[in-house]
Amino acid sequence: MIMPEPIATPDSNTPAGMLEGDLVRHAQRGDLEAYDELVKRYQQRIYATIYHMTSNHDDANDLAQDAFIKAYSALKSFRGGSTFYTWIYRIAVNKTINFLKQRKNKHHFSLNDLDFNTENNPDLVALISDKTPVREVGLAELQKKLNEALMKLSEPHRMVVVLHDVQGQSHEEIAEIMDCNIGTVRSRLFYARQQLQGYLTEYAKPA
Amino acid sequence: MNQNEHNFDDLKKLLKLKQHEMPPPGYFNHFSGQVVSRIRAGEAGKSQSFTERLQVEAPWAMSIFRIFETRPGLIGGFATSLCLLLVLAVVFAERSEHSSQNLLAISAEPAAASVENSVTAMTAPAPALVAGSDNSGIVASTNPVTSLQPTATLFGQAGGSTLFQPASFMATGH
Repeated sequence: MIMPEPIATPDSNTPAGMLEGDLVRHAQRGDLEAYDELVKRYQQRIYATIYHMTSNHDDANDLAQDAFIKAYSALKSFRGGSTFYTWIYRIAVNKTINFLKQRKNKHHFSLNDLDFNTENNPDLVALISDKTPVREVGLAELQKKLNEALMKLSEPHRMVVVLHDVQGQSHEEIAEIMDCNIGTVRSRLFYARQQLQGYLTEYAKPA
Repeated sequence: MNQNEHNFDDLKKLLKLKQHEMPPPGYFNHFSGQVVSRIRAGEAGKSQSFTERLQVEAPWAMSIFRIFETRPGLIGGFATSLCLLLVLAVVFAERSEHSSQNLLAISAEPAAASVENSVTAMTAPAPALVAGSDNSGIVASTNPVTSLQPTATLFGQAGGSTLFQPASFMATGH
């Protein structure tokens, strides 16, 4: 669920055609149409990050909406030190980590369905083809095991894996979002992958 | 790191499965509308908790809290050092008080006699003023308010004193 960067159209009079900075300035003055456009631009990425962290669609829906509402109420304090994208991500990440800490280890899965392209992904097909002859059962089982393994990681380790290996963010972006240095991101990523590999030895064997 | 990257190839392929998990169709068509309607309903104006405000406005403070949270020993050490500082401050304050009192006592002893002399000189009435008080009825004093007050009652002295003149008003008869 990696979304391409939004590109501004030449018609800059409508919110859809505005650049991010202009939209933020309009939203800071209380323009809800401009804020609506900002939400549209980042809703999928914010939702996906929270969903992959919680493995629960309903929780992800609530937390993503809360994050955008909180961002709107704090928008006047946004000085542009980072991009709006990083700023909203930081709010969403902190909100999610706090939520998971409060919930502790009580995980309730509410997984989204896999899209129809999954069966055409050669990498995934190769991974399950020698495990089970029935592909759909294999994918569903794989999805469950993967989510269970992810939930065994601590929140910061899971966040790094989600942002890097699932969302495709760079180490630098993750460091900025999680307010830590790049070395910490790298070490967390390495440790989290090691842990995951241990939990999923059946599917992910070390080379 | 390259060796490690290579070792995780299968895992990275496996994690690609997460990218295929999609919310129900049409879910994002209404998402921003729901957010905006909640903002219009006034939820954005709801008071945020202290930690929430801190997270947005001072993320550095939250990172300090997180360090303390993950390392309880650190906060214990910080609290102990604060207590030590407080105790040291109290001890030094008491010591400096004692030393200043001692210094005062040492300097006060030789000066005591001269102070005594000056006090008696100040309290003794000036001869000229005392002599003058016999005639005018004004007592010399360091109190400026009472110094101008006559000792006797106002009406009792009105006849004999030159300070007070009897006033008489003539009715014009209009």
